This record gives sequence, structure tokens and C-alpha cells, in this order.
Amino acid sequence: MEFLTDPWNWWITPFADNSFMRDALIAGLLTVLTTSVVGTWVVLRGMSFLGDALAHGVLPGIAIAFIIGIDTSIGALVAAGVMVLGITLIRRHSPLPEDTSIGVLFVGFLALAVVIMSTQQASYVGDLNRFLFGSITGVDSADLQRQAITAGVMLVGVVVLYRAFLVMTFDASLATMLGLRPALAQGALLVLVALSIVSSFRSVGNLLVFAFLVAPPAAATLVARRVPVIMVVSVLFGVVATVVGILISYHHGSATSATMALCSVILFFVVLTVTAVRRALPSARRTTAAAG
Amino acid sequence: MRHRFPLAAAAVALALAACGADDQPAADETARTVPGAASVPSIIATTTIWADVTRNVACDGLADVSAIIPAGGDPHSFEPSLRDREAMGNAALIVANGLGLEESLDDTIDAVEADGVAVVRAGEFVDTLPAGDEDDHDDEADHDEVDHTADVTTHDDHGADDPHIWFDPTRVTATLPAIADALAEAGIDRAALDACVADYTDALVALDGDIGAIVETLPPDERLLVTNHDSLSYFADRYGFTVLGSVIPSPSSLAGTNPADLEALATLITDTGVPAIFAETQHSSGDTNALADRVGDVEVITLETGTLDEPGSVADSYVSWLTVTARTIVDALSG
Repeated sequence: MEFLTDPWNWWITPFADNSFMRDALIAGLLTVLTTSVVGTWVVLRGMSFLGDALAHGVLPGIAIAFIIGIDTSIGALVAAGVMVLGITLIRRHSPLPEDTSIGVLFVGFLALAVVIMSTQQASYVGDLNRFLFGSITGVDSADLQRQAITAGVMLVGVVVLYRAFLVMTFDASLATMLGLRPALAQGALLVLVALSIVSSFRSVGNLLVFAFLVAPPAAATLVARRVPVIMVVSVLFGVVATVVGILISYHHGSATSATMALCSVILFFVVLTVTAVRRALPSARRTTAAAG
Repeated sequence: MRHRFPLAAAAVALALAACGADDQPAADETARTVPGAASVPSIIATTTIWADVTRNVACDGLADVSAIIPAGGDPHSFEPSLRDREAMGNAALIVANGLGLEESLDDTIDAVEADGVAVVRAGEFVDTLPAGDEDDHDDEADHDEVDHTADVTTHDDHGADDPHIWFDPTRVTATLPAIADALAEAGIDRAALDACVADYTDALVALDGDIGAIVETLPPDERLLVTNHDSLSYFADRYGFTVLGSVIPSPSSLAGTNPADLEALATLITDTGVPAIFAETQHSSGDTNALADRVGDVEVITLETGTLDEPGSVADSYVSWLTVTARTIVDALSG
């Protein structure tokens, strides 16, 4: 119970004493900001599977970029673009439901990445683990800059496209009537999801960026109804998961990004439990309402 | 809407409690990093093998040397925690193998080096062998491979060198002056270091002689190695073995086997009558066992290839580990 009995040393000292802890924290917080605002739409529109597919679908791009020696972010972005295009094409030219087209490309891209890596017999660069789990202990200022710029783009994008996303999510026919072009808005949203994944994979890894894309916004939708409020609450939940995750990882030597992701998921279940219990106890609601 | 917020706060508090419930190990960790730090420089090596070598270069406790990757850990995929990052940031020197061995640690080592911590990469001071360059891959995929090799060598900091240099004690000997230089930079007495290097060089020359004598018992035409992953090339190079092939020629843990290569390898094993295949504790040996079953008259021997055993066991130092490994290999091949 050190985090209660000796709060200063548990919560503050690690960040005050170590610049890498501050860098890790900043990387984590920028990831939360980026993923929460776009993740809210992912959760509201039921696009979680697509988010997961994209998080893994960037791998062949990263692998190819690594082999030919260009920036891995560019490779990841290209792969995400190709995947989104592919999903749209399958959807347009077949009667298949969307999750099937996502699933086919998901497994296709993942297998492609493994095949590419397995042909690299002559080098010791070939481990996909480092891309899947990232390396928050090795972030540098270039990574932080990249993430900060993406977070800015994300916030501007979400504000500018707010109306289009909102109408598209809750009434597609109204969107068409208003001339808001739901297909275009959907495309823009996919681009934002891809951007958030690509900007964060170096620090938390693309397996775990997915946790941040879904868990905090999902928890937020349980306690808030208006979209901007969901976003703010999601960022708050994400910040809590990040700070607590980093500190647990620091004090107990556990893998950092996985601990952060686990905290965000635990937080989701705690929120779920509290809201469920509260719904089951109408008297408690009355008391709270009276007190408030 | 507003009344929902106290609820959120309660949820947050609960989650905190859930996440931070277990605090016991924290005290142990602090206790572990503190002792000895005040008097002698603390040095971090990536693997237990380089930690032992470094400890011998800074002999008689001239430095407090510890390994980041624990005994038994796989250097290719070891992920550092924030505690490890802190220890590395506070070290006077980091001794790494380099040549891409510490794949998942590389970013962190680079970041620590950028912060001003000295790093010595042993692999820079030896004649390296190319990685994954076996003579059984003369099949139709050959020109493909050549293309990839060309691609990789043009790529800046990740060469295509085989990183498993510690399988040859003469190559390890070649790294000792560089490690001593780095330790002297870290503030350790030069004369004391030179004495240690002289002693340890003698020890490694003796080790080389011992292994030579062990291998001598095996007729030259029986010095044939079939491995799980590529890791014995330097051993083969030093002691006149031929690496016939590997079950999984790629070092990537996600790479699988391909049936044509496996078939060729099975034929090769039958034709040459090799009595043993060498697997590694850090890698799954499922494919190797299957291959052995298919060939029939061949044994699978598991070697500890990238790490020492726990302190107190037979192979807890570099010298004893390499002796045990060499003896295991020779015994297995003598059938």
C-alpha cells in the first residue's frame, strides 16, 4: 500500500527524478489524447474490429519500410491506406458484410508481414515483437514531436468534422439529405484512426494502441451521453490508466505498455461494475440524486 | 447528466486500488539495486555471458556488474521495464553484444547512449561471420536471397552479421582490451584492469586449448552440426565443424519452417548419418523434434546458447558454460 502510505515517493518522485519517466509519460498522454478523441467515434460507430484490423494491418508496411530502409511510419501509413481502400472495394463489389471484408484483409496483412519477415534470413532485424509492443523506454524527442503534431491534427480534424461524424453516426439518411456525404466522412474517420495508430506504434506498440483506442472511450460511454463529454471523460480515464500503468511498471518492473493497456481495461470493468450495481439499486440512485 | 461525475470519480479510485494493490516486490527491487553502488562504479551488461566477461575484466570487485537480461532469458526478445531503463541510465557503462542481438533492447540502449551513458558493443571488435549464410541453401530461392542480402547491407546500422560471437573464446579475448578501455573511462584504475585482462586472457587461452582438446577426440569428418536456429557458426568456425543446416534458418521468432528446406535437411541428416540435432532452450523445438522423429535415428540435444545458468550451477560462468557446451556437443556427436 505504498501508493497510499508514501504517496510522494510512489506518485511523484519517479517522474521528478528521471527524464525518461517524463518522456514515457508524455508519450503515453499524447497517445491517450490521440486515441480517445477518435476512439470515441470508433466505439459509437461499432468499428472496433476495424480498429484492431488496422492496428495489425500496418505491420507489412512497417516490415517493408524497415527492409528498404525508409521511415517505418511512412510504411505503416501506406499499409493502412491500402487496407482501408481494400475494405471499401470489397464492400462495394460484393454482398458480404463489412466484418467479413475486414477479417479477410486483417489475416491477409498479418500473414503478409510474417512472410516478409521470414524471408529475411540474412539479418537479425527481423522480429515483429518490437513493433507489436513498441518501446516506451526508448522514445526520443523526434517521436514525441511526431506524436504531438498528430495529436494536434487529430483535435482539429475531430472539431472540423464533428457535425459530419455526429449525423453519420446517428442518422445516415439525414446526413445524405443535408449533403454531408456520409461516405466521405467515413473515409475521413478511417484516415484519423489510421493516423492515431501510426503515430503511437513506436511508443506503445500497435497491439496496445488498440487498447487505448477502445477501452477508455468504451468506459466513458457508460457514464456520459453527449459526444464531447464522452471524449473528455475518455481522456481522463486514459490519463489515469497511463499514469497508474507507468508507475506500476516502474515500481514492479512489469512490461510498460502492457501494464498501461491492462490498467485501461481494468478501469473499463470497474466502471462497468459500478454502473451496473448502481442501476440495480434504485434507492442508491435516489440518494445520490437527492444529495446532488 | 451532472450527477454521473461523482460516479466516475469513484470508479477511478477503485481502479487505482485494483491496479496498485500489490506493493511487496518494490522494496526488494530497491534493495537489490543499492548495495555496492556507493564505492565502485555500477556497470550493466545486456546478457549474463557479457556480465561474467566484464566481471573478469574488472576482477576482484573493481566494478559492480549486473545483467539486464536475466539468466535463461532470450536476448533477441527481452523487453526492458522502466526499472531496467532507470538502472541503465544510472550505469557508468553499458556492455552490449551488439550486431543486432539485443533486438528489443536496442532502442533503449540508443536512448540511454543519447543521454550520455557510455556504451561498448563487443561485436564491433571482432571479425564477424555473415548471418544465415549456410551452404545448404543452394536451391531455387538462391537469387532471391542474394537480393535481400544486398538490400540489408545497404541499410545503415543493422548489418547482416551473425551476433553469436561468444561461441569462440578467441573472439571474446579480442574484445577484452576494448572493454578494459571503456572501464578505465568509467574511472577504474588502469593498472588494475590491465592485470585482470592479462589473467583473464590466460584463462580464455586455456579454455580455447581445453575445448580444442575436447573436440580433438572427434574425427574431423564427424564434426557436423545441425541446429534449430543459427547460433553455432562461430563455434564451427573456430573448431573446424561444418554447419550442415538449421531447422529454422531465420532468426525471427515469427518465422516458420518451409517444407522443402525441411525435406532437404532430413535427406542431408540421413545421408551424412549425423547422430544429433542441437536445439536451444530459448526457442521452441517443436519443428526440430518433429524432424528428428521423421528421420528416426537422431537425437535432439538442447543447449543453453545465449545465457548462463543460475549462479551456483555448473555453467554459471562463461568459461564453465562454454566447456559444458563443447562437451555436450562432442558427446552427442560421438554417439
